[in-house]
Amino acid sequence: MLKHYKKQSHEIGVYLWIWGLLFVFSFFSYMVDYLNFEGTFRWTLIVIFMLSKAALIMAIFMHLFWERYAIVNVLLWPMTLMLLFVGIMAAESEYTLFTRLFYFIAGS
Amino acid sequence: MNRSTLPKGWDGFAHDWAADQKVFKGMSWGKAMMWIFLLSDTFIFSCLLISLLTGRASTAVSWPDASVVFGLEVFGVSVPLLLIAIMTFVLISSSGTMAIAVKYGYEKNRKLCTIFLLLTALCGAAFVSMQAFEWTKLIVHEGVSPWGNPFGAEQFGAFFFMITGFHGTHVTIGVIFLLIMARKVWRGDFDSGRRGYFTTMKSDYLAIEIMGLYWHFVDLVWVFIFAFFYLW
Amino acid sequence: MPEGDGYDYKIEAKAYTASSSGASVSPAESPDQELYHSKSWWTTYVFSQDAKYIGIQYFCAATAIAVLGLVLSVLMRVQLAYPGLNVLDPSTYYQAITMHGMIMVIFFLTALFLGGFGNFLIPLMCGARDMVFPYVNMMSFWIFLLSLLVLVASYLVPGGPTGAGWTLYPPQVITAGTPGNLWGLVLMLVSIVLFVVGFTMGGLNYVITVLQARTRGMTLMRMPLSVWGIFVATIIALLAFPALLVGGLMLLLDTVLGTSFYMPAIIATSNFGNEVSTEGGSPLLFQHLFWFFGHPEVYIVALPAFGIVSDLISVHARRNIFGYRMMVWAIIAIAALSFIVWAHHMYIAGFTPWFGFFFASTTLMIAIPTGIKMYNWLLTLWRGNIRFTVPMLFALAFFITFLNGGLTGMFMGNVGTDIALSDTYFVVAHFHFTIGIAPVLVVFGAVYHWFPLATGRMLDEGLGKIHFWITFVGAYMIYFPMHYQGLQGVPRRYFEMYNSSQASSSGLNEFITIVTIVVALSQLIFFYNIINSARAGKKAKKNPWDANSLEWQTPEMPPKHGNWGRTLPVVYRWPYDFNVPGASKDYIPQNVSPSQVRGAKAERT
Ligand code: HEM
Ligand SMILES: [Cu+2]
Repeated sequence: MLKHYKKQSHEIGVYLWIWGLLFVFSFFSYMVDYLNFEGTFRWTLIVIFMLSKAALIMAIFMHLFWERYAIVNVLLWPMTLMLLFVGIMAAESEYTLFTRLFYFIAGS
Repeated sequence: MNRSTLPKGWDGFAHDWAADQKVFKGMSWGKAMMWIFLLSDTFIFSCLLISLLTGRASTAVSWPDASVVFGLEVFGVSVPLLLIAIMTFVLISSSGTMAIAVKYGYEKNRKLCTIFLLLTALCGAAFVSMQAFEWTKLIVHEGVSPWGNPFGAEQFGAFFFMITGFHGTHVTIGVIFLLIMARKVWRGDFDSGRRGYFTTMKSDYLAIEIMGLYWHFVDLVWVFIFAFFYLW
Repeated sequence: MPEGDGYDYKIEAKAYTASSSGASVSPAESPDQELYHSKSWWTTYVFSQDAKYIGIQYFCAATAIAVLGLVLSVLMRVQLAYPGLNVLDPSTYYQAITMHGMIMVIFFLTALFLGGFGNFLIPLMCGARDMVFPYVNMMSFWIFLLSLLVLVASYLVPGGPTGAGWTLYPPQVITAGTPGNLWGLVLMLVSIVLFVVGFTMGGLNYVITVLQARTRGMTLMRMPLSVWGIFVATIIALLAFPALLVGGLMLLLDTVLGTSFYMPAIIATSNFGNEVSTEGGSPLLFQHLFWFFGHPEVYIVALPAFGIVSDLISVHARRNIFGYRMMVWAIIAIAALSFIVWAHHMYIAGFTPWFGFFFASTTLMIAIPTGIKMYNWLLTLWRGNIRFTVPMLFALAFFITFLNGGLTGMFMGNVGTDIALSDTYFVVAHFHFTIGIAPVLVVFGAVYHWFPLATGRMLDEGLGKIHFWITFVGAYMIYFPMHYQGLQGVPRRYFEMYNSSQASSSGLNEFITIVTIVVALSQLIFFYNIINSARAGKKAKKNPWDANSLEWQTPEMPPKHGNWGRTLPVVYRWPYDFNVPGASKDYIPQNVSPSQVRGAKAERT
């Protein structure tokens, strides 16, 4: 029993490191706003920092890095599926906005 | 048969799914359940955030600038998103302490485990209090409500209160369970095999790990809310 | 946290090795589940934590609410055929439609298949002692019951239940003029939220039991297709209900707080007394969220039916299921595809023009795995040793009905034809064939099949056959003419046709209504059969259908708490070893080891 615990347990340093990295990434993403980056550049940076933080939390804090592929795949694929929903809704909202502006401006 | 003798990587993937008894080898029922629950919860938050972005992108009225709305005046200087930055800081810290609590849980270190659980709960409570402060400030002083605000699109307030409220509820529930867990660890329930009040079943230190998964998830969601609501 | 699993593979169960063919079964990976033991009458029979009881409780509650749904449908039919009687007025008709649709899809079929059959069958078929978290499982049922009470309570509040159709489209559902646009809607949404919460508690149980609590030798590819269907449907539900939850939550806020998530600019609403004007919301957003849930929902209902019907066909035709692996993969493929077709319900909603092509393509793609399943059922029957028992009759009826519904689905899936057919009775006919009648036929078949397991007695075959013929032929007579009505352009969700050209179908309407009443009344035969047989039916022998799957191999029948007595069964083969050449009997149960059937030539594992 204890052997297994030992196997799952890591040096405390790992957690402190990740903790620190999370602060750094959060600071970076805060700076994106502070420095008033705009447009695509801003969004790219936001997404990159967001995903890095998410990856660190999932991989190390939630131990996904040490889990077997059986569970890792079960978790990650459905989340990827959500991207399709995101894409569809992005297109849809563009179109809604277009129709709105079109009819507001072109009149009825 | 031991977990370390099983095939690894994709071979392990094929092996585990083709095996009998368990797909997630060596994983307790409770932990598997928490993972699947979190997957379902991920879909809830994804739907919330997708709705937010859809609402924002399809409104013809201008969207308020979050970094101004959530700015704070400190000594006469206005700092954008200050409170949010602090809240992020606190929540990430709580994730750090939680990870350490889980580590001590594995090691059956009653004392340190309790301490770190309590620290986590403290951070969580601080987070919720700051959120309450933020809500009050917005509602009372800035006139932001779910059905309207002076800055721009109505949906801004609506999504803000709904999403942060939903997340805040998760944090609050987490804090309550952290306190319960801390009490259990401290009392030594997991060593003595004391039975749960409702379930009448024994429990053990794995419960801390499961608690940890939930708590990290709450932090994870905040990362996305921070990005999509406050920064976007 | 209930205890189920050790931290390591400490338990050294003696590896059971079947000597003759060298087939070996790996040792137990975790200690035996600690069972919950009830202490009083209340905790044994009412607040039971035994999955079998919970399943039966789910079954009874879902059936009870279905009776309400049925009564509503009869009232609607009477109104349509005899508008002069004025049994319903426009408001009550809309409320009846809404409640009928919602009840039948969610509170009846979803709860029945997953909560009812899932609870009853999964532990037994996987060789587990119970669900993994019995306490949570119990809570699931009580929350479900609460959601039913809230739903029914909407008939008591001012304004009555909501009347916007089961799709609850805003802004109509909120604006003045729609019946039940405040309290009725609030109760409906609260009830849905409760249902989702309750379901999630149960659903996690079903999934984890299948994934983590199977018995030794029970690989996923040895599970009966019933379990596969219920299992995959539960996964779909866990991933699809979130969209409904979020959509419903936002609708709730729009209703009570006057937010404008969905409310566009033109409308001013009055909520709880204060006037709020709304602006800029997107009604399309709701439709997307709703159907992101709504389409997978139809497969939540259909997949368990697919699974169960496979087992019924195989057992009662004494034939192994044709293409078992293909059947499993088809279930999985359907489940995956079901998440990317949702907007085929929105062809006339005015969405982005190029969506039509994408969603029509994905929709038609679903026909492939579904077609595979149809052919495999047919090939299972081919040269089978068919026993025309009542379950078999229902299974065959399902086959025909679903085929019919699937074919009309081809029309609905294509944008061009759908735009003409949308909101006509053609749609009503299509979806009643696919998710109305077909699954209900499976439910009946399943009840006749598993009733002996639950009660130890057989249902009466004679009454069963009468019930079957009236229901099946009746259902056809009700819905088949509706295709014609739809092609003539009779619109759906109309409470009367007045003097329009559609009034010419009133003769047909009368016919349909009379049959409906007969079919509805004939269900009394079914209820009588159940009640009477449970008390005084013929005693069932053990394994009355000579089936292979584990649920029939328990030491006692009906199985006791803990299912398996002292030792868990060990599984050596798939559940479809029927008529194996050389074997002495025409079936080999899953827990019979190879050494016990020496003569058998072919053995699948
Ligand atoms: C003998 C049994 C049944 C009869 C006679 C019946 C009859 C009806 C009628 C008359 C309508 C309204 C059509 C309209 O005016 O637009 C309707 C709608 C509907 N029914 Fe049934 N039904 C039956 C069983 C079922 C079952 C088992 C389901 C399960 C899925 C179901 C699901 C629905 C749905 C989803 C609607 C649409 C509600 C709406 O338009 O919002 N029905 N049914
Ligand atoms: Cu659909």
